[in-house]
Amino acid sequence: MSTVSRGVRNAFRNNIRSGGVTVILALSVGLALVMLLSLKTVQARITSVKANLGNTISISPAGFSNFSDANNALTTAQLDKVKQVPHVTKLVETLQDRLPTTGSSTPSFGRFADTGSNSTTSLTSPVKLNAGGNGGSGGGGGRVFIRGGGQLPAGFTPPVSVLGTTDPTSLSDQSITIKSGSAIDGSKDTSQALISTDMASKNNLKVGSTFQAYNATITVAGIFDSGSNGGQGNTVIFALPTIQRLSGQAGDVTSATATVDTVDNLASTTTAVQNALGSGNADVQNAQQQVTQAVQPLENIKTVSLYSLIGALVAGSVIIFLTMLMIVRERRREIGVLKAIGASNVTIAGQFVAEALTLTLAGAVVGVIGGLILSNPVLRLLVQNSTISSAGPGGGFGGGAGRGFARLLGVGGQSLQSLHAVVGYDILLYGLGAALLIAVLGSAVPAFLIAKVRPAEVMRGE
Amino acid sequence: MLTVTNLTKQFHSGSGTVTAVKDISFEIPEGKFAAIIGKSGSGKSTLLGLLGALDKPTSGAILVGDDDITKLSDRDLIRYRRDRIGFVFQAYNLVPNLTALENVMLPMEFAGVGSAQRHARAIELLEQVGITADEQTRKPSRLSGGQQQRVAIARALANQPKLILADEPTGNLDSATGKLIVNLLHELARSRKTTIVAVTHDLEIARQTDLTFQLTDGQLAEQGSHRIAKSAKPDRTAEPVKVRS
Repeated sequence: MSTVSRGVRNAFRNNIRSGGVTVILALSVGLALVMLLSLKTVQARITSVKANLGNTISISPAGFSNFSDANNALTTAQLDKVKQVPHVTKLVETLQDRLPTTGSSTPSFGRFADTGSNSTTSLTSPVKLNAGGNGGSGGGGGRVFIRGGGQLPAGFTPPVSVLGTTDPTSLSDQSITIKSGSAIDGSKDTSQALISTDMASKNNLKVGSTFQAYNATITVAGIFDSGSNGGQGNTVIFALPTIQRLSGQAGDVTSATATVDTVDNLASTTTAVQNALGSGNADVQNAQQQVTQAVQPLENIKTVSLYSLIGALVAGSVIIFLTMLMIVRERRREIGVLKAIGASNVTIAGQFVAEALTLTLAGAVVGVIGGLILSNPVLRLLVQNSTISSAGPGGGFGGGAGRGFARLLGVGGQSLQSLHAVVGYDILLYGLGAALLIAVLGSAVPAFLIAKVRPAEVMRGE
Repeated sequence: MLTVTNLTKQFHSGSGTVTAVKDISFEIPEGKFAAIIGKSGSGKSTLLGLLGALDKPTSGAILVGDDDITKLSDRDLIRYRRDRIGFVFQAYNLVPNLTALENVMLPMEFAGVGSAQRHARAIELLEQVGITADEQTRKPSRLSGGQQQRVAIARALANQPKLILADEPTGNLDSATGKLIVNLLHELARSRKTTIVAVTHDLEIARQTDLTFQLTDGQLAEQGSHRIAKSAKPDRTAEPVKVRS
């Protein structure tokens, strides 16, 4: 019989004590596992949220909004300074415009209301608003009201949106899918454009077809998927220099998006960009605050999980420590006998560590099974409590967080409810590692005490 | 040959220093059965512990063969206890959750003897001390006191030591069983040329040994043969040790 097998047998020498220790350790290991799973799941989600949302800076002319009458566009020259700011890895510059179509000249749409003789097009928008007329029937769309009162005429066709961009591969921060033809180069003035599949269908256009805009002939270079977004289907994409020339806004830019290397540099880079442009010239905002708000419940869960994990491991170690301490004190005479018949301290300590390890592993097996069963319910409970406390009296994530934050809900808010702990081999290995750690920590001091037991103990009377 | 020279052991406690063994010197030739007698507290067990390297003396020398065990390192002391001596205790001190066979195999395991070899040797030893095959598979709690002491003797012989130290080996046994155990020890001393040193308060046992040493207050009052045992008064203060199994 080896030292290890003697230790294993000793672990079950007192069934009541072994059972009690196993149950308590199972609770400790189970809790540690649940917390580890929660921690890993939440950490993965935090990383995902930060990766998806956290590293861009929006730049727009001071006081600018899509429907604002008062703004001075930024210029390409100004934005060149942004490119020089450290940590800025990419800068996408855009110029927005609109081309009135039949029926779109009235009513007014802000600064684009009077677009002049240049702003005409042969295109017809694929979008039809107020299709059913005033309380009319059929067609869908229903009645659409405009800002400042009034109502759109029945079957109103909105102006075609024009986007000049240095990055014609994306639209509204989302990549576009070219269905036919090819993409255009955002930096070259080529009199070419990308149109949506809806626009192509509405106007019977194919790749290579031409249409009129700004009194110029434009060639369709590619057709992109309209997707489910109606606004996307109504957009024509040009290279930035092309639209700057055609619309007579040479050098103007209405917005830009800077990408920062990591989210950690976002705050400092935002300040640097603001300083580079001057506070009176541009509004510079980042998603940092939105991300912070979005991940706050996750951070709360992470903190709770981390402390609970540490607490569970410490509790497990203390339990096994006290148990082994009790066992060593109880068996001083037996230790003396073993020493008297030639056992070394290492052999005896090894036997006791094996005993501690057996008790811990027994607890770990029960704890892991319990932990796997309880991990998702506990995680749900943590999420529920965390989201309730984060929402506060304001009534949830939406309250006052603004448009950007509303977008985050999909990742950081509602998705919180769908957090699901996934158990991989790594988690089981961590569980085993935790059990080992508990056993080693818990039996280290008893092992030291074993070394201190004098063999002469065996000569002592009972 | 066991040679003890000017051996002293002092214990320090809050109330002062107690000298348990005071300047003792004696010799025991190889293959002899020696008894150490004396009243309770006379230092018998302390002396036995020193001979077995369970404790270190304050001064003096203990030569086992040519080696002074008081000068051995901790590692060598472990080797000494493992290979050169065997212990027999009054309370048997068998490991309670191991069978008789496993208890006898234990010292051989510590000595690195192979599994099959130690199994065969343990069976042989247990048979020699009269433990049947059925009894060999029992745990100590299911053996009588005499059987447990036989197992303890078999365990003491496991690594073929040249010196067996027995602390009140018959203290917890009835007189008939005690006599059997003493006979067994005698037989070992004769057949294996094993030196046996037994601490006892039983004068009947002392009378059967080759040499007797009487301790009084930690000092060797007298040494010699049966005469000491015959003249010594029985120790009425000695109590049987409670056996834990």
